[in-house]
Amino acid sequence: MRTRATASLVVSRILVYAGMLVLISFVIFSLLYITPGDAVGNLLGTRRRTPETEELLRRQYHLNEPFLTQYWIWLKDAVRFDFGNSSVSTLPVTDEINARLPNSLILAGVAYVLTMLIGIPLGLAAAAKKSTAVDRGIVASVIVGFSTPVFVGAVALLYVFGVLLGWFPVFGAGTGFVDKLWHLTLPAISLAIAGAGLIVKHTRAVMIKVLDQDYVTFARARGLTSRRVYLLYALRNGLIPVITVSVPLLASLVTGAVLVEVTFSIPGIGDLLVRSAASQDLPTLQAIALLVAALIMVANLAADLLYMAADPRIRHGRSTT
Amino acid sequence: MIAPGKSHRPAAHETTTSTVLKVRDLGVDAVGPDGTDPIVSSFDLDLAPGETVGIVGESGSGKSLTARAIMGLLPGSLVARGQVEYGGRNLLELSEREWSHVRGREIGFVLQDPFTMLNPVFRCGRIIEESLIRDGRRRPPRSERRAEVLRRLAEVGLTDPSVADRYSFQLSGGMRQRVAVAAALARDPKILIADEPTTALDVTTQKEMLTLLRGVQKARGMSLVLITHDLRVAFAMCDRIHVMYGGSLIEVAPAADLESRPLHPYAQGLLLSEPSLDRRVVELPSIPGSVPKAREVVDCCAFATRCEWVADTCRQGRPPLLEVGRLRRSACVRLPEIGAAMDAKRARIDVAEPPTSEARSERPLIEIRDLRKEFRIGKRTVTALDGVSLSVNQGESVAIVGESGSGKTTLARTLLGLERCTSGDICIDGVPAHDWSKLSAADRRRLRGTVQMVFQDPYASLNPMRSIGSTLSEAIRSHDRGVKDTAGGVADLLKTVGLPPAYAQRKPAALSGGERQRVAIARALAVDPRLLVCDEPVSALDVSVRAQIVNLFATLRRERGVGFIFITHDLSMLRQITERVCIMHRGRLVESGPVDRILDHPTDPYTVKLLQSIPRSGAAWIDAPVTTEARRTPAGGGRRTGGRDLMGEVCDGGDTHGAA
Amino acid sequence: MSAIVPQLGDLGKSTRRRSKRLPWTVLVCLVIVAGVVLMTVFGAALAPQDPAAQHLTEVLAPPGSGHWLGTDELGRDVFSRLIAGARTAFVGPLVVTIGSMLIGNLLGLWSGYKGGAVDAIVMRWVDFMWALPGLLIIVVVAGAFGGGYWMAVALLLVLTIPFDTRIIRGATLEQATLPYVEAARALGLSNRRIMLLHIWPNLSATAVANAFLTFAGAIVALSGLSFLGFGVDPGSPDWGRMLSDGTNLLFENPAAALASGAMIVATAVSMNIIGDWLYESLSSRGGSK
Repeated sequence: MRTRATASLVVSRILVYAGMLVLISFVIFSLLYITPGDAVGNLLGTRRRTPETEELLRRQYHLNEPFLTQYWIWLKDAVRFDFGNSSVSTLPVTDEINARLPNSLILAGVAYVLTMLIGIPLGLAAAAKKSTAVDRGIVASVIVGFSTPVFVGAVALLYVFGVLLGWFPVFGAGTGFVDKLWHLTLPAISLAIAGAGLIVKHTRAVMIKVLDQDYVTFARARGLTSRRVYLLYALRNGLIPVITVSVPLLASLVTGAVLVEVTFSIPGIGDLLVRSAASQDLPTLQAIALLVAALIMVANLAADLLYMAADPRIRHGRSTT
Repeated sequence: MIAPGKSHRPAAHETTTSTVLKVRDLGVDAVGPDGTDPIVSSFDLDLAPGETVGIVGESGSGKSLTARAIMGLLPGSLVARGQVEYGGRNLLELSEREWSHVRGREIGFVLQDPFTMLNPVFRCGRIIEESLIRDGRRRPPRSERRAEVLRRLAEVGLTDPSVADRYSFQLSGGMRQRVAVAAALARDPKILIADEPTTALDVTTQKEMLTLLRGVQKARGMSLVLITHDLRVAFAMCDRIHVMYGGSLIEVAPAADLESRPLHPYAQGLLLSEPSLDRRVVELPSIPGSVPKAREVVDCCAFATRCEWVADTCRQGRPPLLEVGRLRRSACVRLPEIGAAMDAKRARIDVAEPPTSEARSERPLIEIRDLRKEFRIGKRTVTALDGVSLSVNQGESVAIVGESGSGKTTLARTLLGLERCTSGDICIDGVPAHDWSKLSAADRRRLRGTVQMVFQDPYASLNPMRSIGSTLSEAIRSHDRGVKDTAGGVADLLKTVGLPPAYAQRKPAALSGGERQRVAIARALAVDPRLLVCDEPVSALDVSVRAQIVNLFATLRRERGVGFIFITHDLSMLRQITERVCIMHRGRLVESGPVDRILDHPTDPYTVKLLQSIPRSGAAWIDAPVTTEARRTPAGGGRRTGGRDLMGEVCDGGDTHGAA
Repeated sequence: MSAIVPQLGDLGKSTRRRSKRLPWTVLVCLVIVAGVVLMTVFGAALAPQDPAAQHLTEVLAPPGSGHWLGTDELGRDVFSRLIAGARTAFVGPLVVTIGSMLIGNLLGLWSGYKGGAVDAIVMRWVDFMWALPGLLIIVVVAGAFGGGYWMAVALLLVLTIPFDTRIIRGATLEQATLPYVEAARALGLSNRRIMLLHIWPNLSATAVANAFLTFAGAIVALSGLSFLGFGVDPGSPDWGRMLSDGTNLLFENPAAALASGAMIVATAVSMNIIGDWLYESLSSRGGSK
């Protein structure tokens, strides 16, 4: 009974996100037609328009087919990571993305880990030391961290550690893993600062609320040691809601990555996105947009499933407060 | 572990010199940036083995904080001082590490709200199990732990093993409270402190819970400290009672003595404002004013502001608690002078009043026929009203009695057009009103001017951003748009409900609960309605204030001829406020008739059960089984009970969507 | 967009009762905001030099007596450009904030109070927007349609509305079940009156505080777009663009980049702190709880 109910809940979530993704992909594909100028012009980009190139593009992108068929073909290709050729470099978009993806993934991964490593302990500390100088100090730095745009933080770090102290390289992604990591440290830190603010704020608020609950008092009244109460109750109950933040956090990391890659001249996906947007390179733009959308839908799904696993009230169809 | 059921301590009632817990001069202070505020002061308590002591007080009396201070569980901003002696140690000096050996093992503690006390992400079995295992001890094998958990659940009357595998939110309130008691008793404490253990429960569940507590206590020879605001519960359960007011003790007495002859004006006032179940009185004796804050009464008798016998001596310092008889102590400095007057007042009140047949017309104002209301929650349909028929005459006062989930609140809301019924007919003053949205604007205004509502929670029923005056003048204008100057009307309304006109300038936050409820009544009266529907109008108020509001209702009826429908779960008020009673159970009207007939000769089994559940003094009531209806067995019924509980929340909590 | 603020309020709420006196931090923030407002209103008129004037003899001068913050690669006075740049930094977020507050409050009140189909649609939309990285959408759209300052502002407004709607809807749901609202319905007051005159005043603390947070988020987002080259036209003074231009000059005149970054942070921090403080003082206005 219960497993079936849970399974149907999981399936329904998957379907919802799949549906959203299809909707987004449709909008992304339509960009080709709803943008000013005709489709051929958009695909041509800055190249010269001749009857031959036009005919070539028409065949390559099936432009003579009905709209929905085109979409279907585009989607089928997209699933196989074939997004056509860049209108600027005329090289396959996939090659460009493949070359840049590792840099962005390492950057985002390191930044995510840093965000959590900075954010959660600070949030826990602030909650445990509520209304003390420690708490006020953390809260104040959160407001500053929160209000510091990624690119401002990046430039400041770049200036202090790259220019003034010369500890870290000021641009590029490096070659080889260790060198990459060294190159990506400053970018990852600047990316983590803003995200950590969100996590600290959320962790603190949730923990203060949990520690104030009757069930925590009742656990202490039964003689459970305070360490046990803190670890077992507060963390278990308190960190569940922190999961929900991971989605907006991911969104802010993806956004931030764009700014950071531009600041540090890292050849990554974000950098590519900005370039292709500036040069109106539609195939590349579509590919990146779809990639990011898929990533975010998967993260959404993961967060939902984690939440379901962690909180029985969701599994059993009760709303949480 | 001590096996439950092995009694190794002397029974109650004997006055032994041995005490397990000795509290001396306990105080609780709020430490803030601008100095310390005393919240509780000079609290004393001696607890004998096996004894039950009640701590009775209204909200703000400091009774719950006292219990928390004894457990070392005060919130961070509060500090305890004084002595709490247990096992030769002053508990207040323990470190947090030492405390974990005392809490649960020596003294157990049950909180008020069963809905928030159990961690929602753990199964019930696990919650009990984690209390069974002490830190540092070897964990017994899984099967043994499971068996022990089931044994503990059985001790509190939960014999269905599947309860251990449920989450707390899948259980009813009563079952949750049982699980909580089992968890609190897991380490076999010698004392159990229960803070309002039945306040959040329905009256029939309350009786079961109290019986259970009493049974467990006897079987284990445990001492019990019962904290409650309900004198009747205290009389039913306790050997001795400590009465608190404004943060300090004002009287300590054996339960029977307190009930027959209280020796402090406040204790007497509290006792008298509890209406008698058996007879009707002319006017409920009420205590004027409202409960003061502890810091406002530091240097005088806390009750001085409301006492009818107050004199200058009462205001010279805090009166000490003095021995005034065998095992009796009172904090009234004027007791020798006013004792006789107090006795006389009690005797005067004790005279019963025959039921008066008030003048009322036989014309029905409201006719409800076969009313049904269904709520959809996800895929399930819950029936809140299942074919209810009812008619109320002009000027009549009818009570609709039921427990949570009975559909009584839904009935009221449907009548007011706040909820749309699924089927059935409502006719108000000749206007068909089963669907208010289909009425013409004129009809709707006429109905609004005929029926009005007073809500349960006085703290939320006034818009906190508006002054009393603007709330009332808006209500006046809603009825009569032509009114230019409403100041006079506002003053009249305030006068009607017994408030000074100057209150028009105030915001709700500056008013006490009782005063807010008066304003809420005034707002309803602004449109000059012929019928007031009152949803639990006094249950959120302090006991000493309830009588004032009940008397106000009586006055309104007498002087303005307003009729009433009271929605209530409290049977004790019935005889004072109504002449006709309808009993609701699971969406249906199970019995209705004149108040005396229903209370004295109930016929429906559910009514009988309800009446038997009203607390009465003495052990006889506690130990008497609830006869008629089969006890709610957890076996197989657990999930259903959970659902029913949900229904209670839905029906009584209300759902704003859909009827707007 | 760091405007994603799931929960308001708890931050900085240390003690229940605070003194009526203005905390010094808030005072500093108010002064900063007032300064930015002045710069927005009077713009280049306040600047000591013409922000567009190029002094090719003084290219990349470090901060000094002639130019307080030095000059950029075209010899333009950084300090003057900073003052002139306040306009684009301030006006866009102001439009976003006011527009989003108006529309978000109305939508939130409506969907929270009335429920039904409107609520369902609004909430689906909000859920959808919640997960998407707004800045990227703007970049993609700007890439497809061509950018421009007002285009960015309009897009940001559309992307911000769901957040305001969500917060106001949640707060409205809480209020709508309270007896004072039911009593107003029982008296037969109109829905519009109940929503605007009864429920909204009780949300005003949340709404106003949220507006300040929206502003802080919008200034960060818009300057981020300029930083990427999608906001204002090249060459015009703007904090985000000055920062990105200045990044290449970090070795020569770091002030060119850091000063505009500092202005963005100072304005955003001030708005956040003022928002939190307003929430505190407004929510205690009704008295209890």
